[in-house]
Amino acid sequence: MSTVVEPSLTDVQMVVEEVWTSFLGAEDPLLPMAPGTLEVGWSAAVTVSGEWQGAVSVELPRSMAEEITRRMLDLDDEVEEVGDDDVADAVGELVNMIGGNVKSLMPGPSALSLPVVAAGRVARASDVVEACRLDASWAGAPLLVSVHVRHPEMG
Amino acid sequence: MKILVADDSRVMRQIVIRTLRQAGYAGHDIVEAENGREALDKVRSESPDLVLSDWNMPEMSGIDLLATLRQSGSTVPFGFVTSEGSPDMRARASAGGALFLIAKPFTPEAFDEVLAPVLKG
Repeated sequence: MSTVVEPSLTDVQMVVEEVWTSFLGAEDPLLPMAPGTLEVGWSAAVTVSGEWQGAVSVELPRSMAEEITRRMLDLDDEVEEVGDDDVADAVGELVNMIGGNVKSLMPGPSALSLPVVAAGRVARASDVVEACRLDASWAGAPLLVSVHVRHPEMG
Repeated sequence: MKILVADDSRVMRQIVIRTLRQAGYAGHDIVEAENGREALDKVRSESPDLVLSDWNMPEMSGIDLLATLRQSGSTVPFGFVTSEGSPDMRARASAGGALFLIAKPFTPEAFDEVLAPVLKG
């Protein structure tokens, strides 16, 4: 039986911080925090299939998802409203980047799916278990990035 | 010069276009495509000088776009901008005829490093 490889929390944190710093600005750092109550407004997930099998997901409060969208689109928050299509696009791209980078750290070859985005919590396959979770706060609100792996004996 | 930016995410196309500007490539014409199929049509109709393409896209992926272009005789300079920067993906990109692969997230400096030889050379 092959061993299930899991990314370390340090790796996931490094990837998430890089995405945040590159596209959301360095002035509001991502801070680690204890797991707490997170009212999920938007979430997104990508799956990796192949030599390594897993899923990476991001869960965010609505206001944070909208602020992320504004920053990624470089919109003036005083004037411009963001639509749900843009929020879904931005949150999907966020998890695509985090998932793609996590995939690159895991054994290959494998393929990355297109992101699945939901207003609310995305459904997760029943044959995966949580391998790693990053609870963090950004601009005063909590978010969660988690990595799930598929165990062969469960598939 | 004309640059074709292919990505299924409008948000990411905006970021790529903004990063081009920040990297010092502000004066170029930009053409956008939402997937590989649309990019293929636009390479034919718009004759861009460079294609910057995502890898994972619906309809037609970036690597299939590149293969189709090369099979049809197009030699348009082509680079990937993708969330996947593993050695395996870089090798596949290079074998397919891509000039470079920029991994997301990226910086304007990463853009300039690979684009200077193509656009300023």
